[in-house]
Amino acid sequence: MESRFHQELEELRIMILKMATLTEKALQKSLQALLNRNTQLADEVLEGDQEINLLEVAVDRQSLRLLALDQPMARDLRFIVGCMRIAVDLERIADQAVNIAERAQFLSSRPPLPVNPAMEQLGEVALDMFRTVLQAFVNEDSDQAREVCQMDDTADELNVRVLKDLLEYMVKEVPAVERSVQTIIAARCLERVADQTTNIAESVIFISKGVNIKHHCEQ
Amino acid sequence: MNSVVKMAAKHLNFYYGDFHALKDVTIDFNQNRVTALIGPSGCGKSTFLRCLNRMNDLIPTSRVEGEIILDGEDLNDPKVDVVSLRRRVGMVFQKPNPFPKSIFENVAYGLRVNGVKDREFVASRVEESLRRAALWDEVNDRLHRSALSLSGGQQQRLCIARALAVEPEVLLMDEPASALDPIASQKIEELIAMLKANYTIVIVTHNMQQAARVSDYTAFFYMGKLIEVDVTETIFTKPQLRQTEDYITGRFG
Repeated sequence: MESRFHQELEELRIMILKMATLTEKALQKSLQALLNRNTQLADEVLEGDQEINLLEVAVDRQSLRLLALDQPMARDLRFIVGCMRIAVDLERIADQAVNIAERAQFLSSRPPLPVNPAMEQLGEVALDMFRTVLQAFVNEDSDQAREVCQMDDTADELNVRVLKDLLEYMVKEVPAVERSVQTIIAARCLERVADQTTNIAESVIFISKGVNIKHHCEQ
Repeated sequence: MNSVVKMAAKHLNFYYGDFHALKDVTIDFNQNRVTALIGPSGCGKSTFLRCLNRMNDLIPTSRVEGEIILDGEDLNDPKVDVVSLRRRVGMVFQKPNPFPKSIFENVAYGLRVNGVKDREFVASRVEESLRRAALWDEVNDRLHRSALSLSGGQQQRLCIARALAVEPEVLLMDEPASALDPIASQKIEELIAMLKANYTIVIVTHNMQQAARVSDYTAFFYMGKLIEVDVTETIFTKPQLRQTEDYITGRFG
């Protein structure tokens, strides 16, 4: 029979999964809102953010309770500490989705900019990284988590490309400066999503292997 | 944590009659370090602890194979004098067991048994031992009252002082704090941290948080075998073996 403690650990896992599912939806909607000029989806992202915030608080409370009352050890200890870190990153990713949705609302009310393939690719990479890390968390698969860390370089490159493209464009099209800046901000948000997703991947590796690979200080 | 090996077991096997209680246990105990022995009831950790000062000799059907080395010398050698061995390797038990004598006489007992007659020397050794056991300040005005008038936590520290009076090199502790309330237990833990400056300590405990707090090394025993031994922090955050992990996370059996 599972002990009460292990049932409560399972509850913690489910809270993280719920938070991750909502965050993934928010991210996907904000991207569609941005790329398809869909303000309805952007509104939904803004409305849904508070639920994710509340889940972060709930994860924190549950984790603290388990640490205080059960004094967990080894894998259980790493799992709880890992979940606390992951919840912080998920909440930040959801905030990036809100920021992207706000850019989408602004941009939808103005004439469209030319289609930028790098921007679309950046969105795809960020979303792909997020989905992969979620699978890695579910399976406690450190190899899959390491793949996510490697994908982050692509996101960085795409962000730089968007920046360069739009800088060139702004020089030629002065009336498009504000829209271009807004788009650059959205790209920057996606690049941050990739960074925070990488943090989650590091937490998954910490949970499954007990090693800290943050800042290349593997030990 | 480089340290000198003070004591070691090499391929130790122990039998109670037909029952093979310890199976090929090999482990080092580093000088001035605390090593905690953990494992479920019946895993052999207390039997192992008692092998370290040959307390199991008292059990008629018991049999030992392998070596227990103290400073390079095998304790199971028939030439070893058990009384002097137990002076070098002291022991503190789970339940405080002071003699029904005064506080002073409890601590002086080991010296008297060893033939020490010099009253001044005995008095100074009693004071020193009580100080080392962090009990002196609480009892120095009533040394000639019965030891049984002390609280459980004080009695346990008195037993530690009694063990220290004969200047042991190794201190074995069999669940020294399990019969005590949390405050008395905390005092014992603080005492262990102080004592390791002068002694090599091996402690059996069922309380894993306690093992984590007081020890430098932790050894996990299961069914008579030493499963894993490592630096305590590693055992409790990242043990190498699944069996150890399952035990310390309560997923056993």
